[in-house]
Amino acid sequence: MKRLSMIFSVLIVLSMILTACTTPATPTEGPVAQAPATEVPAVEEPAAATEVPAAVEPAAGKTVLNVWSFTNEILTMAVAFEKTHPDVDVVYTMIPMTNGEYQTKLMATLGTDAVPDVVALEAAFVKSYVESDFLADLSDLMPYAKELKMYPFVYEVGTYDGITKAYAYQATPGALFYRRSLAKEYFGTDDPVEIQKILGDMDKYTQAAAVVKEKSGGNTYMVASNGDFMNLFYANREQPWVVDNTLTVDPMVDKLIETAKAFRDNGYEAKATQWQEGWFAGMNDSLVDAEGNPKKIFSYFLPTWGLPYVLAPNATSADKSTTTVGDWGVIAGPLPYQWGGTWLGVMKETSKMDLAKEFVRFCTLDEENLTNWATGVYTNEYLKAIDPNVPDSQYQAAGDFVGSQVVVEKILPSFDNSEMSAFLGGQNSYGGFAAAAPSVNARLMQGSDDAIQRALNDPLNSYLEGTVTLDEMWQLWKDAVRNEFPDLDIP
Amino acid sequence: MVRSKINHNNTGYWFIAPFVIGFLVFGLYPVYNTIALSFTDTTLMKADSNFIAFKNFERLFADKTFLTAIKNTWTLWIMNFIPQIGIALLLSVWFTSNRLKIKGGGIWRMLFYLPNLLMPAAIAALFFSLFSFYGPVNQFLVRGGYIPEAVDFIRSPSVMRGLVVFIQWWMWFGQTTILIMAGMTSISLSLYEAAVMDGANTWKMFRYITAPLIKPVLVYVLVTSLVGGMQMFDIPMLLTDGRGSPANSILTNNILMYMKFRSSQGHIGAASSVGVVVFIMTSFVSLLIFYLLREKSDEKMAKGN
Repeated sequence: MKRLSMIFSVLIVLSMILTACTTPATPTEGPVAQAPATEVPAVEEPAAATEVPAAVEPAAGKTVLNVWSFTNEILTMAVAFEKTHPDVDVVYTMIPMTNGEYQTKLMATLGTDAVPDVVALEAAFVKSYVESDFLADLSDLMPYAKELKMYPFVYEVGTYDGITKAYAYQATPGALFYRRSLAKEYFGTDDPVEIQKILGDMDKYTQAAAVVKEKSGGNTYMVASNGDFMNLFYANREQPWVVDNTLTVDPMVDKLIETAKAFRDNGYEAKATQWQEGWFAGMNDSLVDAEGNPKKIFSYFLPTWGLPYVLAPNATSADKSTTTVGDWGVIAGPLPYQWGGTWLGVMKETSKMDLAKEFVRFCTLDEENLTNWATGVYTNEYLKAIDPNVPDSQYQAAGDFVGSQVVVEKILPSFDNSEMSAFLGGQNSYGGFAAAAPSVNARLMQGSDDAIQRALNDPLNSYLEGTVTLDEMWQLWKDAVRNEFPDLDIP
Repeated sequence: MVRSKINHNNTGYWFIAPFVIGFLVFGLYPVYNTIALSFTDTTLMKADSNFIAFKNFERLFADKTFLTAIKNTWTLWIMNFIPQIGIALLLSVWFTSNRLKIKGGGIWRMLFYLPNLLMPAAIAALFFSLFSFYGPVNQFLVRGGYIPEAVDFIRSPSVMRGLVVFIQWWMWFGQTTILIMAGMTSISLSLYEAAVMDGANTWKMFRYITAPLIKPVLVYVLVTSLVGGMQMFDIPMLLTDGRGSPANSILTNNILMYMKFRSSQGHIGAASSVGVVVFIMTSFVSLLIFYLLREKSDEKMAKGN
């Protein structure tokens, strides 16, 4: 009997082990060290509420449209949509993606009848959905996109095999932000046109880094971390990571490794970590090294959302003693790239295909809506007039960079005197992005990019520190990729 | 009597039914499902899946990363378990000792247990900030003249491993102490009194009275810690980039499983195979512990009979 009960209890313990094994206890996507850039705006957006999930009860007698997203941003447009479509009730569900809850929840509902009609998809995972069979074909909305002159990369991301399945209301081209006072000191000018000439390509950027180091006596770094410029190289490859199911390395990636090595060995980068203290401290001149010597950062690579949500809020130090407000300039930078963004797609199984399509069209391809969105028309009072139940924190401030060239050109002058333009020393904040957007290309983007690129971070840093050789670095990276993509051919 | 009309013989089954049902649904079924999944190439992003027999396992063992993860998990667990059980035994002896008579035992016990209540995410974020390149540890060491220039601790495999071991130890030694103390206080005082009469010293009392009598508790602590250790996840996951960096030094079994699960396709078939191997490994070692630390007296009695 004793033996029997022993065996039984052992079995219970063992089954508990395995149960716990199969369900990762805390699905935590956002790693502390290299938090995916794109998650940050989700956190800092003024409209983002904290309660989850914020589903609203459907009203009687109206057609219900289920929309899922990972921020409260699209709720603003959902309310505006109800104004023009009074017979529709948009039931909005917000699930945060800070720790990957949104992606996990969405993946888990695929193929069940719990799927929503419309889904918001973030840059890191939009492509895996576009490549899958779960999204409906939205190609018939393309005429609207052409009419509004959508930036090509915006719909390229939503396109796979010639079929467009997702559109975005915003475009997120990247730019280079630099310190005007430091530019004057080291290059004799702070004029964006002149600075763009000095930093016009990656070799020039590296040469300028040497000038910055020499003239500052090593107290100003060209860039805070090597993670800053990785996106630029990835965005300018000529082949995707996966060609015919084979892992492929473009020469641009070799160039990235070379550049990162040069920056590390020559002391052009501050060895900070993106999204960590040192990186933020550089934005407001409060960075000090371990001995207490003040250090400065000359430039940051950030996209559209980086200006209002990352750079501006961090430009004044926590104790208000140092500030860099008004001391920034923006240029297209050495290479065109794009970073982050939210796309909208329709689930194939929806029973309200026409309405769901109309919702996507309204949010992403409607001139009036995009204009209202970017110019601050959607105030809290405006939304409350449509639906009194809208939370007090719900509104859209002016300044989001929209995906339509027609709208951008129309509203560009209205930003001459905006708060963000004052932050940039009078330079039109919208103008910098408008210059950068047309040359961005996202044709090579694939669903596996995010994981493959992340897998390179650790081996690359080991190589920069000199703990592994270049060959060992590639081997470590391939092992890490194989681990996440068992079906991929890795040479 | 009227009461006897109702048959109470089967009432016991009703009482154990909730457990049995819960066990079947939440215990046994997931086990079955995991094993079944591990033989397929199921992903979350595709509707269909194929039976691929042992392919997942072949890939796993051909993959150096998996062997690294197993090695790491064992290293991290053993390095935190040895000091954990050592300190817990020492503290338990002190706090249950009749000679020392330490006051406020309850308060101490609570203080030892407190770290266990903290959120792992907060602890990991705290240690990450402390040890970052521009963090306070570097400032203190450089300004105090202990090291010539700032060290990138976050990129140092030995420092990061040490931190994981320390945090795990710090979070769990209180729990172990409480369990061992409970075992020690249940030992009859008369045994110690008799030993003192016979002139035994503290060490001899520990060796010949305490140690044998708390063996069941030790087996329990060892096995539960092993089970927990083989599934070590939150601290190493949150401390660095969630991929076991630097140089895979804190990549554990469960981080590896989670990486497969959350890859862009959601490879749950491949992730299950990791779970199955960890299950087999943990079961085997647990049974070995039970076998090695079994009650020898049972056997003697059985032989005698």
